Amino acid sequence: MKDIWNTAFVEPMQEFFRQVGSFLPHLLAMLLIVAIGIVVAWMISAGINRLLRTARFDQFSGRVGFTQALSKGGIREAPSHLIGRIFYWVIVLAFFMLGLSALQLPPVDRFVDQVVDYLPHLLVAATIILAGLLLANFFATAALIAAVNAQVVQARLIAQGVRVALLLLALAMALEQLGIAPNIIVAAFSISFGGAVLALAIAFGLGAKDAAKVFLEQRLKKERPKEEEFSHL
Amino acid sequence: MRSESGALREGLEGRIREIGPADVLVGIPSYNNSRTISRVVQAVSAGLAKYFPDAKAVLVNSDGGSTDGTPEAVAGAGVDMQSILISHRVNPLQKITTPYHGIPGKGSAFRLIFELARALDVKACAVVDSDLRSITPEWMELLLRPILKEGFEYVAPYYQRHKYDGTITNSIVYPLTRALYGKRIRQPIGGEFGFSGELAGHFLSKDVWGTDVARYGIDVWMTTTAIARNSRICQAYLGAKIHDPKDPGADLSAMLAQVVGSLFSLMEEHAALWKSIVKSEPVPLFGFQYDVGLEPIAVNVDRMVGAFQLGVREFAPLWEGVLPAEDLVALKEMSRPAVPLALPESVWVRIVYDFALAAHRQMMSREHLLKSLTPLYLGRVASFIRETQESGHHEVEEKIEQLCQAFERDKPYLIERWEPSANTGAPI
Repeated sequence: MKDIWNTAFVEPMQEFFRQVGSFLPHLLAMLLIVAIGIVVAWMISAGINRLLRTARFDQFSGRVGFTQALSKGGIREAPSHLIGRIFYWVIVLAFFMLGLSALQLPPVDRFVDQVVDYLPHLLVAATIILAGLLLANFFATAALIAAVNAQVVQARLIAQGVRVALLLLALAMALEQLGIAPNIIVAAFSISFGGAVLALAIAFGLGAKDAAKVFLEQRLKKERPKEEEFSHL
Repeated sequence: MRSESGALREGLEGRIREIGPADVLVGIPSYNNSRTISRVVQAVSAGLAKYFPDAKAVLVNSDGGSTDGTPEAVAGAGVDMQSILISHRVNPLQKITTPYHGIPGKGSAFRLIFELARALDVKACAVVDSDLRSITPEWMELLLRPILKEGFEYVAPYYQRHKYDGTITNSIVYPLTRALYGKRIRQPIGGEFGFSGELAGHFLSKDVWGTDVARYGIDVWMTTTAIARNSRICQAYLGAKIHDPKDPGADLSAMLAQVVGSLFSLMEEHAALWKSIVKSEPVPLFGFQYDVGLEPIAVNVDRMVGAFQLGVREFAPLWEGVLPAEDLVALKEMSRPAVPLALPESVWVRIVYDFALAAHRQMMSREHLLKSLTPLYLGRVASFIRETQESGHHEVEEKIEQLCQAFERDKPYLIERWEPSANTGAPI
């Protein structure tokens, strides 16, 4: 009876406590690493936040239209604060991964390796998307201003076209970086872009051939519609 | 004798050594002006021979790489002095024709002229545009004599122009410069100026040759720099200013952005000065003021109104934060097609001051901000043309005077909102 008791209950319990005993230091190490990570992340994000504010990054973001782009996406935070927060979570995530590897569990180790391998791609993709947002907004505004000053009635359409094209390009590049169906992405982008250019060429060359002829004739002969004869300066 | 900027090259240094110290230098910036530059060179040569026969004079053509034979036209331009009743000068006029380097533009051409003025140690300089059709030999006397004989350091031009000519000058540059710096210089960006050799050296010492000053901004920069240096300034009445027609396709918004951008940059540099000035004062004017018959010119007001309406419709979201909400509402009301456009001077003054403040606070890309002013400027010009359709020269000058007074009256609005600490970085 005693043997049965030992085999059925005591030994498994001893084994359980032995395993818990050997696992606990790893768990504590993980918790410690994560706690240190949180502190380090907080310090670094606060430092970055402060550095960006000193460098007047928020004003710069306003000037290049980044703040407005974020605002349109429902993000009302100051860009310096947002970047500080992104750094915070990236650092916390990195320490969390480090903590997981401290558990020394083979399946978790494999998962951590995969995440660590993928992380640079994720960061590059996020950077591409951010830069794409920024550039799309800047060049769309530039196109809008140039088109309005040239008195093109469809100025807004042109600006939207520039914005969408640049965002699509950024999205395609980011997805390609993430390895999400890269062949399909490249093919889809090439087909869409080529198709759009071909459609424009056909629309301009066939649909508006008379207007194109007049435009080119005026350009080549340097004849322009009669405008003002006075000097603005 | 190597210049700091490297603008003077080996060949030019040899020519400077050959000429030696000179008394007077006349600079002519050019770019593909072969149609008109011969006449300008002839007028300058005749003027120097007639009014400064004893002075050692140098004519400098600072060229932007013309391909139409402009340098050859300069070299070949001679004057039959006897036919215009001028005895031969004691010192023959020395000519230097050379390409300038740096950013393509009038400012870079002027930089080379300043370099040569310093290298030749001249007492007085004058600059004249190469596309002038109305220049006479008398312009040389009017631009140089106040420097050489009257002790002035800077001579600004004073022209009689068509009432619709010089609209950037009349609606922005003159009123704003006058309100800010307190000097009533009617043509701050006229194109023709006289200045002392010392002032040319001062211009050269400034580090501005990579900015808009190197392009269209040079004229207002020179005038403002002369005022800020407290130079003795006068004006010279030159009569009519008629020049070769400009390319109608020239980008107005780029030109406006460069001129206004230079004005705004100068506001940053001289904030302490203009904040302390409370009213304007007249500037002495030399020369006999005769009336000039000016040919009528074509204006397309409907095109300007269309540009204003399109601009207000599309740029309104960009201007949020730049213009006060009530002004935006007023502009939207004015841009309704059913309403005849009338952009009053009080609103225009506020627009210019608000754009200056937005540039100061770096609220958006400087280029975007300045270029988005174009439709508002065209709206103001269209309103002005409609208001003065039946007016003569003097009535138009009265209207411009009213606008200047409005700028001076509203100056406290600008001063109150101009935070000294806001702009620490370079404009982008």
